[in-house]
Amino acid sequence: MKGEHMRWRHSVPAFAALSVGVLGLAAFLSPRASVAGRVAQQTDLVARGRYLVITHDCGGCHGGGSDPAAPGWLAGMTSPDQEFLIGPCATKPGATPCFHTRPRNLTPDNTTGLGRFSERQIFNALRYGLRPEETPDVEITSMTPGQGNFPAHPRYLAPPMPWPAWRHMPDQDLWAIAAYLKRGVKPVTNKVPDSEGPPDFWVSGYTADKIGSYPVAAFPTANERVPQQ
Amino acid sequence: MIGRIALLAGLISSAGLGGVRGQDAWSAPPLLHNRSTIPGVVEFDLTAAPARLALVPGTLTDVYAYNGSIPGPTLELREGDRVTIHFHNDLPEATTVHWHGLNVPVSADGSPYDPVAPGASRDYVFTVGAGTAGTYWYHPHPDHRSGFQIAKGLFGAIIIRAADDPLAGVPEKLLILSDNRFRADGSLDLPDPDSPQGQIDMENGREGDVLFVNGHVLPTIPIQSGAVQRWRVINASAARVYRLALAGQTILHVGDDGGLFERPDEVKEILLANSERVELLVRGDGQPGSRTTLQALPYDRYVPQTRPAGWNQTRDLLTLAYSADRPRPPLVLPPTLRVIPALDTADATVTRVVVLSQGLINGKAMDMNRVDFEGRLGTTEIWEIDNVVGMDHPFHLHGFHFQVLDRNGVPAPRRSWKDSVNVPAHETVRIIVRFDGYPGKWMFHCHILDHEDQGMMGVLELK
Repeated sequence: MKGEHMRWRHSVPAFAALSVGVLGLAAFLSPRASVAGRVAQQTDLVARGRYLVITHDCGGCHGGGSDPAAPGWLAGMTSPDQEFLIGPCATKPGATPCFHTRPRNLTPDNTTGLGRFSERQIFNALRYGLRPEETPDVEITSMTPGQGNFPAHPRYLAPPMPWPAWRHMPDQDLWAIAAYLKRGVKPVTNKVPDSEGPPDFWVSGYTADKIGSYPVAAFPTANERVPQQ
Repeated sequence: MIGRIALLAGLISSAGLGGVRGQDAWSAPPLLHNRSTIPGVVEFDLTAAPARLALVPGTLTDVYAYNGSIPGPTLELREGDRVTIHFHNDLPEATTVHWHGLNVPVSADGSPYDPVAPGASRDYVFTVGAGTAGTYWYHPHPDHRSGFQIAKGLFGAIIIRAADDPLAGVPEKLLILSDNRFRADGSLDLPDPDSPQGQIDMENGREGDVLFVNGHVLPTIPIQSGAVQRWRVINASAARVYRLALAGQTILHVGDDGGLFERPDEVKEILLANSERVELLVRGDGQPGSRTTLQALPYDRYVPQTRPAGWNQTRDLLTLAYSADRPRPPLVLPPTLRVIPALDTADATVTRVVVLSQGLINGKAMDMNRVDFEGRLGTTEIWEIDNVVGMDHPFHLHGFHFQVLDRNGVPAPRRSWKDSVNVPAHETVRIIVRFDGYPGKWMFHCHILDHEDQGMMGVLELK
């Protein structure tokens, strides 16, 4: 855990600047911060992650709704009516292909949740849509398969996980979500069956022409305008 | 090789017409000739070379073979033997020979660090350790090419015998299980990795629809009613996991990777993951003239995305035919086959966590220039192997035998010496190992060959 925290510190220097505005705790981010300071800094990161998890409705699918005090908070699907049907069968019963996808356990349980994934892998999942167990535990610097640590054969999170939108969150917000899930939530043992999907693990569904580019095109695009002074 | 064509013809007619199955005569690979005449000294010649063999009816297949046969010849050794294997590589590519499960010096391990170039030779020299009597196998282990070379036909059995084998005298059968996939012209179906089938092979590991026992399809083993046979079974398949059962009867499970258990275990079925071995006592329980089959029952080791059609079909591997001879008196087994001292968790000085995901170990792909774990010879370690994905990963450690402590916290049902252990989807297996052996860099990896070749492997350096 400490090692992961250190990696975070090295990779996200920009967080100091952000927290001046949002959290007002820049003093604690000095490399010489006291033990109390580090605890406060970590608590603060987790608090930011908690805020993001609540406001992005993670619990709407993964359990507990918008209430961190609710039973099953982020513990994943507990009943079949929480499954999603992806494919023509979503509107036409019996139509094929038909994939059942299931919100997984986001608590840090070692065997059924995110416990064995590093915060880096959770970050990679949110930024690149890769299943956390199948992202390398290293920084990804390219989105071309096989380059810059991007997997040669990517396996994406099953729909409707809205990572194509949420990947545009700034780095520090994704790190905060990862920190909250790993450090700020108690582990719950709840084994969710794996989601189904096409043999390409949704690769053909998540091409740039379908989900846009990352990062997004510069403002203004043809649909946008610079506001008049 | 000769019987295979006739048998395959029989298989096809049985599939189409429900005709007679299992017409192939039983045969095992030839024993490799020991050219030493000095007691306790063994000298073998082994060559890997391209060959053309009849594997499917009416066609020839371009393969790689050890000494011209698939499987390669069987190496029969005794505990304490001093062994030299003069290996020659006549393949058009570099290879190695890994003596799977044997405790040998790292220079003889045939790891990716020591490739044998095309046209080159290498002597593999080692001494067979005391207490290692059991069933092992040999196969190539070059960097990124193990799956290809084994699919092409490079694998064979090793049997190590003990002077005090409690089952000496029980008739033996060797069963090397493999599978392969062919195109209509008889050539091996090895698809482009970027093709849809290539992608599925990378994900699941390459499975074949033709199941071989010692290179034969659906052979018949004759057994006298009342007789007992000792079967040594090796899973030499790249990815197929065998859930073995003898229709209508139980089996005495008496050993696995590193030889005999302390006591036999009566079972209805046995899961044999990739590279694992078992020793079984099969009893001629059937009526004279009757038959039964050794079956591969369905086993779901797959993720839902790439679970193959037909995975839930039972497949027959061989026929067991009871002869009409006069029944034999039952075999009396000693109450204890041998003593296996338990490795003590209190002696463990290091506990490591090994996270298996799809193609990665602890989030990393294999790098020959990196050492993942450093350890000390003579120490005992506990490894907690966590599979965090929805597919089984059979885990293999080179150079040392280990004992399985528990699975998901449930203590292992029996003690045995293992070198490979299946770690099912989303499960945790704890093993204990004492590094009594040789220093050097030892591989540990997933034995689904496509995963190994993708880099699902790490390096343990012992000093």
